[in-house]
Amino acid sequence: MPFFNLIKWIVWKDILCEMRNRENIASIFFFALNLIFIFSFSFAMDRNMTEAMMPGLIWVAFGFASILGLGKSFLAETYNDCLAYLQISPAHKGTIYLGKFLGNLLIMVAVELVLIPLFIIFFNLDILNKLPSFSLILIIATIGICAVGTLFSALTVQTRAREVLFPLLLLPLEAPIFIGAVEATRGAFHGDPIALYRHWIELLVVFDLVFIIASYWLFEFILDG
Amino acid sequence: MITLRGYKLTHIYRYHKVLSDVSLELQSGDCFALFGPNGAGKTTLIKILSTLLRPTGGSVEIMGKDSRDHRIEARRDLFLMGHGTFHYDDLTVLENMEFAMALRGLSPPYSMLRNALDRVGIGPFTLQKSRYLSTGMQKRLALAKALLAQPNLLLLDEPYVALDEKGMQMMNDCIREFLDKGASVLMSSHDRAKAAEVSTRAGILQNKGLKEVPLKELANALF
Amino acid sequence: MHNLIKRLRKVEGGVGALAFLFVAMGLYGGLVTSPPDYYQGEVVRIIYIHVPFAKCALLAYTMLFVGSVFYLWKKDPVVDNLCHAAAGVGVFMTAIALLTGSIWAKPTWNTWWTWDPRLVSFAILLLILIGYLMLRTLVEDRQKEAVYSAVLAIIGFIDLPIVYFSVEWWRTLHQPMSISTRGVSLAPEMLTPLILMSIGMSLLFSYMLMIRTQMLYLRHLLGAKRGGLISEVDLS
Repeated sequence: MPFFNLIKWIVWKDILCEMRNRENIASIFFFALNLIFIFSFSFAMDRNMTEAMMPGLIWVAFGFASILGLGKSFLAETYNDCLAYLQISPAHKGTIYLGKFLGNLLIMVAVELVLIPLFIIFFNLDILNKLPSFSLILIIATIGICAVGTLFSALTVQTRAREVLFPLLLLPLEAPIFIGAVEATRGAFHGDPIALYRHWIELLVVFDLVFIIASYWLFEFILDG
Repeated sequence: MITLRGYKLTHIYRYHKVLSDVSLELQSGDCFALFGPNGAGKTTLIKILSTLLRPTGGSVEIMGKDSRDHRIEARRDLFLMGHGTFHYDDLTVLENMEFAMALRGLSPPYSMLRNALDRVGIGPFTLQKSRYLSTGMQKRLALAKALLAQPNLLLLDEPYVALDEKGMQMMNDCIREFLDKGASVLMSSHDRAKAAEVSTRAGILQNKGLKEVPLKELANALF
Repeated sequence: MHNLIKRLRKVEGGVGALAFLFVAMGLYGGLVTSPPDYYQGEVVRIIYIHVPFAKCALLAYTMLFVGSVFYLWKKDPVVDNLCHAAAGVGVFMTAIALLTGSIWAKPTWNTWWTWDPRLVSFAILLLILIGYLMLRTLVEDRQKEAVYSAVLAIIGFIDLPIVYFSVEWWRTLHQPMSISTRGVSLAPEMLTPLILMSIGMSLLFSYMLMIRTQMLYLRHLLGAKRGGLISEVDLS
């Protein structure tokens, strides 16, 4: 089926380029790692403070690191005019969006999988038994970050001052993700039963669905001729 | 059969008019060579005809279908070889080909891919990363993509740039193959001699308008 | 002259005059004849500015969305000017609403800012509108500028309710409901000037929108004339 084939190809192309180039994944990872150190120095936290602030710190780290990586998502397409080829390909532009979105998601999740153990180590977190529920929150919130991030990456890649414009446009709109992810993570780390914080997860799911669908339809206008 | 029809195309960048009421029509087997001074709007016209750019005025029909209303079908019928090569530096030649075809909904087998690459002369570099190809070789890769895409309308923006003598001959051979199969070709070039070898028609884009000239007068035309 | 512009020019005088009338009546009623609040004193008079400006900010935001959808459908350049104007006037309205809200909050609740869902939503609206205006200046191609900003407006419109609800849920967790921006009970003497000001400000917003749209349209015409695209401009 051409729809899935095209998505598979775009994801494959992005992963392949990323594995050979490692530009994006390295910048996301090292930026987040730097943030871990900066957090340690800036907020000299005792046990209680750590527990209170950790959900926020984790999501600040992922959120800001994602800006670095997602902003570059469409930058690779501007070399050699590859974006033009995407524009005039006889494919529905929403399909291209989904392919790019999935590629970004895989890269972000890969980075997070390395960073979570580092968080656990550096901040001495006791969350190993809470990882299942945290993983659920992680994936749903990351989907939201990638959904809007991919859309805005395409929107700003053909503008001047794109490195500045991308976070400027993206961050206000990501507020619900931060709120939902931090609160849900706080509940998960605290060991609360999932019923206590499931409305935050539902908020994130609604956000994800709304923005994936909206971006799918609006992508035609962004990559239009 | 009319493959391409541009009707009263006008384009204005911000407040700078580049094209004014340009019209042209191509039939099967036509090879139209577009000439003109720098900045005349040749690239703009080709971008409009390839649906990369939406003109401020006028319409484009490809194989009888309006390019705005039937975007996907129109794009399936055409192929553009533009200034940018559309190659991903980190992918190998073969992967670039496969990806380019996948975007057109095609998945040719390795033998077909290899044949096309051999035809354009970069067969030995199949597994090399695109980054290491010279400009001329990248041009040949773009041509290989066109050969596999088999479009009804081929748009070439300065196809002879960066090609050596053999490369230019090969380009013309491939163009003749396309024309024999009933496709149309529109190319913009500064190389009158090479373009005249394959072209059936010629035109000069100047002062925002397109004027068709007979091929015989092309060598002496001043612009 | 574009048809819509012609219609706007016919109507703007009347709208402006009516706006002036209503705003004058509302301000007189609000600042002079209406009574001070029992608890808040004279400070409460700021609601005659704050509430109408906030309503107009939401009006601007809605107009921006409707205009953007219309633009993506019909690609009418004057509708694009209208969207641009709505964003500009919207920034003004939102900023004043936030500023007056803050000035009201300090003597009333002893805080310059509170993480109330409405205030946060307005702050994010302001950021979205500023981002919109910045995007417009940074895109080079004219048509892309219009399309991209329309896409941004639609995404922003969809997102804002989600922001509102998420902040509301969050606030019930972290800040007890001792502060409520909804809690001003209105005596009838206060209601009338408030309604007058609301109507007046909506009219004033419309007037500003019309003027700004025409300004952008004329700027576009001027550019076209300078670029030699049109030889003369018919300003009738």
